[in-house]
Amino acid sequence: MSVIKYESAVRGPLIDGTKDYHQITEDILKPIETTPSKLWKIGFTIAVLLLIFGVYSVYREVTYGIGEWNINKTIGWGWDITNFVWWVGIGHAGTLISAILLLFRQGWRTGVNRAAEAMTIFAVICAGQFPIFHMGRVWMAFFVMPYPNTRGPLWVNFTSPLLWDVFAISTYFTVSLLFWYSGLLPDFATIRDRAKIKWRKRFYGVAAFGWTGSTKHWQRFESLSLVLAGLSTPLVLSVHTIVSFDFATSVIPGWHTTIFPPYFVAGAVFSGFAMVQSLMIITRKVLNLQEYITMEHIEVMNKVIVLTGSIVGIAYITELFMAWYSQNPYEGYAFYYSRANLFSPYGWSYWGMMACNVISPQIFWFRKLRRNLTVTFFMSVLINVGMWFERFVIIVTSLYRDYLPSSWSYYYSPSTWEIGFYLGTFGLFFTCFFLFAKWFPVIAIAEVKSILKKSGNKYKNEELRHELENDSIEEFTKKFSHH
Amino acid sequence: MATYSNTFEQSAGNKKWGTILTGIGILTLLAGIGLLGFSGDEHSKTRFWAGLLQNSVYFLLVVNAAMFFLCATTLGFAGFTISFRRVAEAISTLVPVFGVLALVVLLAIVFTDQTHIYHWMDTVTRENDKIILGKSGFLSKPFFVIWTIVAVGGWTIFGAKMRKISREADDTAMDTETAKKWLFKNSVHASLFIVCFGLTVASTIPWFWLMSIDAHWYSTMYSWYVFASTFVAGMALIALYIIYLKNQGHLPFTTKEHLHDIGKFMFAFSIFWTYLWFSQFMLIWYANIPEETEYFRIRMHGEYRGLFWLNLILNFVTPFLLLMKANAKRNYTIVTFAAVVIIFGHWLDFYLMVAPSTMKAHGSIGWFEIGVAIGYVGLIILLVGRGLSKSPLVPMHHPLLKESIIHHT
Amino acid sequence: MSIKKFVVGLYDDEAPLFDAVKQIRKEGFKIHDVYTPYPVHGMDKALGLRETSLHTAGFIYGMTGTTIALSFMSWVFTTNWPLNIGGKPHFPLPSLIPITFEFTVMCAAVGMVLTFCYLCKFAPFVRKHHFHERATDDKFVVVIECTSDSTEADATATLAKLGAAEINTQIAESEWWFGTYDKEEKKYTEQDLVKAAH
Repeated sequence: MSVIKYESAVRGPLIDGTKDYHQITEDILKPIETTPSKLWKIGFTIAVLLLIFGVYSVYREVTYGIGEWNINKTIGWGWDITNFVWWVGIGHAGTLISAILLLFRQGWRTGVNRAAEAMTIFAVICAGQFPIFHMGRVWMAFFVMPYPNTRGPLWVNFTSPLLWDVFAISTYFTVSLLFWYSGLLPDFATIRDRAKIKWRKRFYGVAAFGWTGSTKHWQRFESLSLVLAGLSTPLVLSVHTIVSFDFATSVIPGWHTTIFPPYFVAGAVFSGFAMVQSLMIITRKVLNLQEYITMEHIEVMNKVIVLTGSIVGIAYITELFMAWYSQNPYEGYAFYYSRANLFSPYGWSYWGMMACNVISPQIFWFRKLRRNLTVTFFMSVLINVGMWFERFVIIVTSLYRDYLPSSWSYYYSPSTWEIGFYLGTFGLFFTCFFLFAKWFPVIAIAEVKSILKKSGNKYKNEELRHELENDSIEEFTKKFSHH
Repeated sequence: MATYSNTFEQSAGNKKWGTILTGIGILTLLAGIGLLGFSGDEHSKTRFWAGLLQNSVYFLLVVNAAMFFLCATTLGFAGFTISFRRVAEAISTLVPVFGVLALVVLLAIVFTDQTHIYHWMDTVTRENDKIILGKSGFLSKPFFVIWTIVAVGGWTIFGAKMRKISREADDTAMDTETAKKWLFKNSVHASLFIVCFGLTVASTIPWFWLMSIDAHWYSTMYSWYVFASTFVAGMALIALYIIYLKNQGHLPFTTKEHLHDIGKFMFAFSIFWTYLWFSQFMLIWYANIPEETEYFRIRMHGEYRGLFWLNLILNFVTPFLLLMKANAKRNYTIVTFAAVVIIFGHWLDFYLMVAPSTMKAHGSIGWFEIGVAIGYVGLIILLVGRGLSKSPLVPMHHPLLKESIIHHT
Repeated sequence: MSIKKFVVGLYDDEAPLFDAVKQIRKEGFKIHDVYTPYPVHGMDKALGLRETSLHTAGFIYGMTGTTIALSFMSWVFTTNWPLNIGGKPHFPLPSLIPITFEFTVMCAAVGMVLTFCYLCKFAPFVRKHHFHERATDDKFVVVIECTSDSTEADATATLAKLGAAEINTQIAESEWWFGTYDKEEKKYTEQDLVKAAH
């Protein structure tokens, strides 16, 4: 038990300014305790309007059938599956930040984990809409559950990757939600105990489940978060792995390739971090949290982006190479005609993907660019566009010229209501995020407090810290062995 | 604090055991050359080269994984590794030695035309097999040789540079600004190594050295799978040396907290390896394309059936059950046992990559394979000991050393 | 329901807390609890709390999930309604792994969270007595329970000696009850007060 908290002076502070415990509470809870700004109201309105448009699009689809989506040949699925995989991918960074970085004890995760987890949950909700409404008769959705029935009983096909998806995504959603909510308990209690307004005390009192901050509760809380992190880490991997199995278990050229599982996971982390960057750069500005989500946080996330981007790059090139190395004519066709050939009908999407995901993130090798907000924001949007293209490339370029020439198609485009549905998920995502930013502590208060004395700017500059920094190893060890 | 020595002197026992085991390896090699290598029997000859290939590639990639670990943690600005990073450095000093040994084996296989190992080198096959012919742009002797030399050279040079920079933290204290610059220099060279590693171990090198044994077969996952396999074994080797040095009274700042983290790495990457194993296997099993299933057919049925499942038991079930509990990762005996199982298990994994395709139904793990492996173990004992004695065991002025001292899981 | 009398000491910083707790325990007081705004590492050990077994429970839930998923799916495919799916064996183990894994994680996670809530008595509408409203903000609160061995005066004196910034005595319900935080609900009577004082 180290009471003296130490961290090397070479590390930049993770909490700027001269914060103490109380100030952290004040700063982070400010948006909750004040009326929302004009900017928030405008953004929220736009999000709700998009959501309403989406709801109308869904209404059309449910009422008139999936013919509204032009799904009369395999390629017609392209748009919706792309959107599904894209959203699921985005929904990965949150749990990754929380779980893996908790296991690695990365202090910087405390600044962004809450928002990233929330983003995960919203993104998974958005992702779920696509397969659900794709069922057409959505009121029969419960057919995917294995329940005793009068049809035999005929069970669902447990060997189908699509059913694995049902289990994977519902588990992922549930576990992420539990992880997120259990982390919120202490912060809700903080809001409750500060509340001066009656309904706020009541509302957060109910939400806090009776949290008091007891040592025994903290002990169990920490054990719970550790195990949930330990469970979530393979879970994060498994979810996108299973999404990749949807493609890779088939025998379609360009889909059936063994690298898909880890490569999809890397891609998902990549796009998830990009989305976190986009959101956090805006949020920290609007909610005035620059001292908690510092340049250190942004730089470190950019490092993760360049790492995962490069891993994805190796995977792209491996695939391309193996398409040739396998000497399989179908693979060769998929990769060297449909994809890598810029002048084939969809060649542009392949090169768009390469440019956005592999080539452009390489600028983050340079520290100056990693710490540049404009560049980071621009790149984070670009990467999400690129990751959308990645899924588009995988799905469309493999399907538009598959084994069945009667399904071939050059001119594939989504219908208005498909686009409306996609926009609607943006509406849903941002509506949720705006509500979250207003009513929830955007940063995990208790967790930030636990790193304050180690990584806070104020404490890093204390006399005691300088002393520790200048101590010889012997003196330093002696000080710590006393505790 | 008790007195401790920051320098390691290779004990007589260490040298003795190293020499004995290396001796066994050399004797095995000589016997192998006589009985197998120059035997007229094709099976024996193939067994000779297959055994050498498996051992030399495996142990080279394992010691190279130590440098990968160092570079990855350097790029991540990890503090906890500092108190034992010299252990990983010492292990990585074996890369040039094992690299040369692997080079000799690989070049010998190529230049003496061991077509039972690399089927694609056979000139008759090359002309008549459309697929092999189509790949000949990649599977060609000159390319193979050049790329092998480039890879081994790259790991050696970038690794040596990393170790050299590390020595700068031995004697003089750094102020914060110098320390920042020095860490930046570290990270630049670490990233050079990582890029080199990505272009070799995580992609091309396993294709050349191992996957091309089954010249028709291909799997995009293969290289990452090989990487996972050797990385776990590399972490296990680091754990073994930490425990050895702790028992010798060295590494005062490395505590059970650090061992706990190494244990976590062993645990997590054992699961990661299993994940890759499963994904590769399941996808090929599920799609059931004959060109692909061939690889597993020969391994799952017949001679190798037992080893195939043993591989999973040793590399997944054992570390999973042994290292799951937090206290187990802090227990010297359990971690030692798990590490030995992991190192042997992945050696077996490499055996399963090499032997079934080269030896077909005639493979067996016998005196030769084990003898060569013992020789490699002897070399590791001798040379890691020497590597450890070459530099202080703890870089006393490393700017992140204090973080490592107070490291707490 | 148990109404007890507590002496509450308030600290502004976690640094003196360990020594204080150590000393209080040494002098034979019963520490009811220590309330902190964030998890103070090592405080559970300082208080002599035993390690939680929550993770063991999680392991058991997980294994239950594995067993249920695997046995159910194999029953479906081999006994209840065997189907030929893609020419694969009737017990296609590799393709049962994903769902088994997911169900394992689901059971472990949900089971653990429920156990956590049960052990800590957490649920919506659960109310507990608060010794200091800033214990969830920036104060560190040590609560000593008055027993027949330790009087209020002794406890107060000890806390004062150990540098508590603020000390007071509270008579409170030590358990949980249902209610909401926007209402003041008296959980004790005059008789209880008298009882607690003895």
